[in-house]
Amino acid sequence: MSFDILFNQFMSGIARAALLFLVASGLSLTFGVLRVLNFAHGSLYMLGAFISYSIWKFLLMPVLGFYIAAIVAALVMAALGLLIEFVLLRRLYSRGWPEQLLATYAIVLMITDLVKWAWGGKFLSIQRPKPFTGAVFLFDFPFPSYNFFVIGLGLILVVFLWWLVYRTRLGDIIRAAASDREMVAALGIPIPWLFTLIFVLGSMIAGLSGAVTAPFGSVALGMDIEIIVECFAVVVIGGMGSLPGTLLGSFIVGQVYSFGIMFKPELALAFIFMVMAVVLIIRPWGIFGRPER
Amino acid sequence: MKKFAIFTILVFIFSFISVSIVMAQAKPAAKEPIKFGAIYDFAGGCHMYSESAITGIKLAVAEINAKGGILGRKLEYIVRDTEGKTDVGQRETMDLILREKVNFIMGPCSSGVGLAMQVKHSESKVIRIAGIANTEAQTVDKFTPYIFQVVPNTYMEATANTRYLNKKFPKAKKFCTIGPDYEFGRREETAFADEIKKLVPDAEIVYEAWPKLGEKDFTAFITAIMAKKPDAVHGSLFGGDLVSFTKQALPYGFFEKTPFIALYDLPVLVALGPDAPEGTLGFGRGCFFMDPNPKMMEFVEKYKKAYQGAYPDSWAVMAYDTLYLYKAAAEKAKTIETEAMIKALEGYALDSLRGKFIIRPLDHMGTVPCYQGTIAKDPKYTFKIWKDLSRIPGEQVIRPEVSVREVWKKTGVVR
Repeated sequence: MSFDILFNQFMSGIARAALLFLVASGLSLTFGVLRVLNFAHGSLYMLGAFISYSIWKFLLMPVLGFYIAAIVAALVMAALGLLIEFVLLRRLYSRGWPEQLLATYAIVLMITDLVKWAWGGKFLSIQRPKPFTGAVFLFDFPFPSYNFFVIGLGLILVVFLWWLVYRTRLGDIIRAAASDREMVAALGIPIPWLFTLIFVLGSMIAGLSGAVTAPFGSVALGMDIEIIVECFAVVVIGGMGSLPGTLLGSFIVGQVYSFGIMFKPELALAFIFMVMAVVLIIRPWGIFGRPER
Repeated sequence: MKKFAIFTILVFIFSFISVSIVMAQAKPAAKEPIKFGAIYDFAGGCHMYSESAITGIKLAVAEINAKGGILGRKLEYIVRDTEGKTDVGQRETMDLILREKVNFIMGPCSSGVGLAMQVKHSESKVIRIAGIANTEAQTVDKFTPYIFQVVPNTYMEATANTRYLNKKFPKAKKFCTIGPDYEFGRREETAFADEIKKLVPDAEIVYEAWPKLGEKDFTAFITAIMAKKPDAVHGSLFGGDLVSFTKQALPYGFFEKTPFIALYDLPVLVALGPDAPEGTLGFGRGCFFMDPNPKMMEFVEKYKKAYQGAYPDSWAVMAYDTLYLYKAAAEKAKTIETEAMIKALEGYALDSLRGKFIIRPLDHMGTVPCYQGTIAKDPKYTFKIWKDLSRIPGEQVIRPEVSVREVWKKTGVVR
């Protein structure tokens, strides 16, 4: 087992981690502040992918088409997030988790049927945008340049979210609201609007990540549930609502899966959930999470 | 007066009885339609194949009914969705049999769901003809007289692929396999591993990849396969999974380095567009560019007319063949009563869109052909198709009777 083979497998894991982080960061953000487990996050991601496909197909621009499509998809999802928060989620903050889960699961079903109705059961594909069509050579081994785009976008998102949460006044309010909602409200800060903003931001990230995944693989029904399960593994391992936790969780899941595939492919998926089980036993609130009060 | 009243009552009673007798007789004269259930999986990777099958069914039913139906009876169908779940498949099967009283069943797409349904419709002695789900377990391991298959099963397909791959790359010894981790993929890759060792005694499977069905990210599988430097890779990936795999493998130069064969059929090639790797090998179950015979091309024209210029894929072809098989057998049996139909179907030779095939009486498996080819551009189409076509007739790759009986001894099938 030479170094370049291991390195290459490591890079595969990093690419997967970047993709997972893109999706999971939005999920973790909404949970961290709103304390709502948004089961529909994967559906917004899927819808983002389908919408970006249609816009890409409509634009027929070889270079810019995809990037425009991705931005528009993110904005459309932000608008849908606004609608969902305003109509449904707002009424659920004070309710228990089972009710929140049921309500967001209802959104999953609605979006699935919407996609079935609008796009049918076809699997669709977006070609990789220029200049990320080829490969970059690392240690004489090719590495898809689009993966670097995904990793780069993941890093930008990390920095942006870190800046937003830890370096702005809004971030101070967000963190304060996450730890003591009543106290922040008592200081005269409009909590409902803060929550709307966070949910819209989370939905936008979901839409953007869906669009970014589209050139990576195929766009098809069922991609919502597939991603949400793995994202739950990521946030459970890293700690719900914690940004560094989500980053570490994505890294662990990506690498465990990648090397699992290399050494024991039959158990690659099982390994992820074994890690999750171990974390749940030792630190039920995740590596970087805080225990629930 | 009293007599008159009795007389009137008697007249009423008699007229009522005679009317009901006439009505009872009139019923068969009006001829009840033949009803069948189209149970498919409108979920995940199967969704699109299921939709295609329905387009084939629609076309065949319209044609058959326009020409007077089957034995003078119109053909009607009810579509049901299993959601890709075994329990839903069983529930829908029972509902169609008990409440809708269907005469036979077509479907499903998922092999796992097919096996679950088989238990139920066999108990109720209702025939099912499978045109997508192709696990060999349906006709071999868990055979019942009520199942018929018109799609090459996993054993036939893998055996045919093995021979083709061996002919193309006679020196290949180190192989990798990649198959979706469920009934179909497991069966197909296991059969490939067994068969290649028969053809190439020192063949070795150096790596087996089992991505889950619906996997979106194959990168780690691709690098793991390439690290083993195989002489050729056999894949039973299909649909959206194969689209994802192909796009992710392209930048690695995978297709230039490694001979690869997988289910590159029409929907996959259409979805991939310019990304479809020319020179890579495909296998399939029979659509127009795999078998451009006159009957098939005539079907393509009819289909395009019915569906706004869309091309039919193999799944539509097999659904269409299924209904014509049923029609032919019913006309031979002169009834659609189950036992007579089974007898008529056994040994029936159908002149199908894919050429002639016979339903083998032993296990009800159709000797349908398996197709292979090389992906190539063709100026006539907006998508890539195949060239260097290979058509391996079912008779050459179907599991020999001795071998079937051996399996039956183990699984307890008595026949």
